[in-house]
Amino acid sequence: MSKMITKSLGTVGLAVILSTTALSGVSMAENLKVAWSQDATGLDPHKQTAFSSIRFLELMYEPLVRLDKDAEIVPALAGSWQFNDEATVLTMKLDEGAKFHDGSAVTPADVKASFERILDEEVGSAARANFTAITSIDTPDDMTVVFNLDGPNVPFLTALASVNAAIVQASAIEAGTIGTEVVGSGPFKYESWTPNSSATLVANEDWHGGEVAIDGLDISVLPDETSILAALRSKQVDFALINDPFVATLIPQASGLKLAKAPVLSYHVLQLNPSRGPLTEQKVRQAISCAVDRQDVLDTALLGEGAVTGPLTMAAYATPQDQLFCYQQDLEKARQLMAEAGFADGFDMNIMAATGEPPTAASEAQVLQSQLSEIGINLTIEMKELNVYVDHWLKADFDMAVALNGGKPDPYTMYNRYWTKDGNLQKVANYIDDDLDSLMAQGREEADPAKRKEIFQSFEKHLAEVSPWVWLYTGYSYAGTQDYVDGFEPTPTGSLFGLANVSVNK
Amino acid sequence: MTALLKDLTRHPSGRIGLITFAVFLIAAVLGKTGFTPYDPLIQDRIARLQGPSAAHWFGTDLFGRDVFSRLMDGIGQSFIISFFSVGIASLLGAVLGLTAAWFAGLWDGAVMRFMDVLLAFPAILLALLIITIFGPGTWTSVLAIAIVYTPIFTRVVRGPALSLRRRDFVDAARTFGSSRRYIMTRHLALNLVAPLTVQITLALAWALVTEAGLSFLGLGTQPPNASLGLMLSDARNLMEMAPWLLWMPAVALMLAVLSFNLLGDALRDILDPKTRRRLA
Amino acid sequence: MSYPIKRLLVFPLVMLGVSVFVFISIRLVPGDAITAMLGTESGLLTPTQRDALRAYFGLDQNWFIQFWRWFAGVLQGDFGISTTYGKPVMTIIWQHFPLTLELAILSMLIALSIGIPAGIYAATHKDRPSDLIVRIVAMFGQSTPSFVVGLLLIYLLSVGFGVLPEMGTFVPITEDPLANLAQMILPAITLGTAFAAAVIRMSRSTMLDILQEDYVRTARSKGMSRRRVIWRHALPNALIPVITLSGVEFGYLLGGAVLVEQIFALPGLGRTVLDAILQRDYALVQGSVLFIAFNFMVVNLLVDLAYAALDPRIRFETK
Repeated sequence: MSKMITKSLGTVGLAVILSTTALSGVSMAENLKVAWSQDATGLDPHKQTAFSSIRFLELMYEPLVRLDKDAEIVPALAGSWQFNDEATVLTMKLDEGAKFHDGSAVTPADVKASFERILDEEVGSAARANFTAITSIDTPDDMTVVFNLDGPNVPFLTALASVNAAIVQASAIEAGTIGTEVVGSGPFKYESWTPNSSATLVANEDWHGGEVAIDGLDISVLPDETSILAALRSKQVDFALINDPFVATLIPQASGLKLAKAPVLSYHVLQLNPSRGPLTEQKVRQAISCAVDRQDVLDTALLGEGAVTGPLTMAAYATPQDQLFCYQQDLEKARQLMAEAGFADGFDMNIMAATGEPPTAASEAQVLQSQLSEIGINLTIEMKELNVYVDHWLKADFDMAVALNGGKPDPYTMYNRYWTKDGNLQKVANYIDDDLDSLMAQGREEADPAKRKEIFQSFEKHLAEVSPWVWLYTGYSYAGTQDYVDGFEPTPTGSLFGLANVSVNK
Repeated sequence: MTALLKDLTRHPSGRIGLITFAVFLIAAVLGKTGFTPYDPLIQDRIARLQGPSAAHWFGTDLFGRDVFSRLMDGIGQSFIISFFSVGIASLLGAVLGLTAAWFAGLWDGAVMRFMDVLLAFPAILLALLIITIFGPGTWTSVLAIAIVYTPIFTRVVRGPALSLRRRDFVDAARTFGSSRRYIMTRHLALNLVAPLTVQITLALAWALVTEAGLSFLGLGTQPPNASLGLMLSDARNLMEMAPWLLWMPAVALMLAVLSFNLLGDALRDILDPKTRRRLA
Repeated sequence: MSYPIKRLLVFPLVMLGVSVFVFISIRLVPGDAITAMLGTESGLLTPTQRDALRAYFGLDQNWFIQFWRWFAGVLQGDFGISTTYGKPVMTIIWQHFPLTLELAILSMLIALSIGIPAGIYAATHKDRPSDLIVRIVAMFGQSTPSFVVGLLLIYLLSVGFGVLPEMGTFVPITEDPLANLAQMILPAITLGTAFAAAVIRMSRSTMLDILQEDYVRTARSKGMSRRRVIWRHALPNALIPVITLSGVEFGYLLGGAVLVEQIFALPGLGRTVLDAILQRDYALVQGSVLFIAFNFMVVNLLVDLAYAALDPRIRFETK
């Protein structure tokens, strides 16, 4: 009965859609219908650091450089760039055709104003921490920007590859309209946004980066990923971003749908708090690292969708895992380490995880709980609402935490906040030693790629051995699409920037 | 009490409700005292997501845990939360309702307006706020659900208590020559205990549903413990791969709520003087 | 003083109570708009940056001043600006309320159109097998939580029958009524199930009561046909409690159905408040809870008045 109703309604609905398409011609119909489960939290590219905001804003705003699908740095607003030999001065040439959505050219003055805004403490840009190395910015001509840095700083370039360092109009900064109006230079122009509900973007015909094959994007926010799957199946959505591996694995099984996936840089990790009780003992932390079967956690919590990783998740720097401390589960060794530390009988601790962030957090906590009980560590799981979790996390008010932390293509930009003596989040990591600090400093200054790799491999091996955290694995970024959507390339950052190259071939 | 049980077994929906409730209560007690086919928390990750079989009657979950055992444990958990929350709500409601009626005036006004405020607040959001403030867990759920249902009990108690205070019925009964003590007891039994009993039974059903809803949102019972709502929530993304994970807790929740509703219906029939007269 | 007037006088007091209650409780929840926006990255902020952001979100004042500013605005019809939407709170509420209203109306229509006939049928066929079936169905309907009904509906339809629930971008009824209905029908059935069950039970039992009443018996004995007695005399009276019940239920539904909206991906009022709580959008939480409470109280007041108007036996006295 209800089947018939839905069917007949569907048919009528289809007829209506067909007739409107016929009336409006072809040009109207090619807005790509996009769905995701978490929406942006705001429109100011310098302030919004949530991943859900970044992937939305980078469709409209552009930084000077960006990362391609292999995490290599490629031109965005800057067409070319050059470090001086000491890596203290970075000179960038802007791309000639770069224009803002209102038609005005992107100038070095806009670049300078944008970075001055990021560095202005009154603005409250969290990305400021990445750019405090800038001592001054010169604009010698109307195509060139020169960044003068306070010392050798090779990773500075990767830090620029973020929409949190997007170039906005100097005039918009002056008018105070950043965050309420969106005038970027990216492949899509802002049309409308209703938070947690929907957004519409139109293709930027004058985009300097090339031609955008679709007319625009109709984005809907469907908070539950199983409903995104339903929407894909019923062809109400052309392209969807999926976080939950359980939902993602169902997509290739549905006819007419395909799944694009790419390994990402962000990593699932068991954060230990080395300032808490038994965790102050290195041997206890090592025992935990040995007791955890990373592949087993991955197989259960993510249905095997991912790969076990060491601290460095970028392929260019990663150390082979057989060289990392205890990367194969070794319960014998774990028990022995526990005994040596004086905890042969184990101990009780809490482990916190955020509800639904990542979707697999509760499962991970449960498998870890089961695995650690093998060496006498009894964990109590505390699931916390995301903001409550963040609150505790920032205060380092936890024994252990299940986390999904963001990754960067450069080890220094990725970890200086945690594993340097003056890192902003050192108080969260709660562990530092001279080796880590000096290796980071060397990595920052070294320009030679081979030597850098060597430095960071030592860093990684040491980090895995002192085990302040237990690195687990990286997952995938998933995009589920209809068969007729072509050209999307997922990236290791989970960026949706590839939508600029997508075409619809019905 | 035994008379009431006797009445219940005679009442058709009372009988069905009582039997269903008894079955669930046994499952809950066994589940919480550890008499389950498997340990509900022990993971056997090799045997994950297996359908119902002779070894695992209701199949296994993502971690290879036995769903039947977890269901027993979960029913126990859900029952504990609803019994305690309704217990607290009815006690709190009784105290507030009685004192409001007794002291009247400012206290009565303050209590009843506060209850109005709680009632006007959307129930699930109220519970959600309380739980986010105190952090999720069994006792926070109990507290949250108790607060949500206190106003209803306060109202149920205050009405009869008010007329008890005015004693209008006393005069009425006196004219028929009944003793004061007899009148008080009888009045209390008929006008206070009866509606309270019915209300408690129905509130147990709502509490089960609210607990399930909160756990479904991840704000109730914490893993690895089971509750019906949490099992449903875990089944959500797996329902195509492992439909039994959805069906078992869904049916269990429905039957548990049903048993309370049936009992509530029967109690209303039995205790309501109006229907009682008619039945006689 | 008559009861409705007393209720009206109490009204502002209760609204004030709700305001204070929601204002305090949302602030007791750990985390604020800054952590909601920045997540763990907010650990990178310098103290100056943090202060700047606190001032931006209006969190730099103490609670009394914050409350007074907000409440003074409310008295003038200004509910403040939502931090997530960057728009006035009322604008956002009016964006999401039509969906919730439509869903409530649809569920009520489903409930009444199934519930009343089924209830009367059962009452007039008392103790026959058909009555029993209706009662059992109603009992099950009342005992299944809405979100479970929703989950099972989705599962049965998509896996069992291959019918895909319509869950895409929400289409407002003003834009495309058919597409809108296709999206709303399942959630409406979901919410309508328990509602219908309650209507069946209520209409059956009141109908049974009325059929026992003397005036109905008299009418029957005067040779009036059974059908005529039921339709002319019994039904209008039996409907009174059903109307009351539906009104109260409707009042609840206007508050938004958080779980059902979540399951069916509908951007209604319930989800708006939930998201606002999760994103620590204080102004939006306060405004929408106040809005929901206001509607709830108005609907209940109307229900009481309607009850009094319809049933001449009821007089509001010292209740």
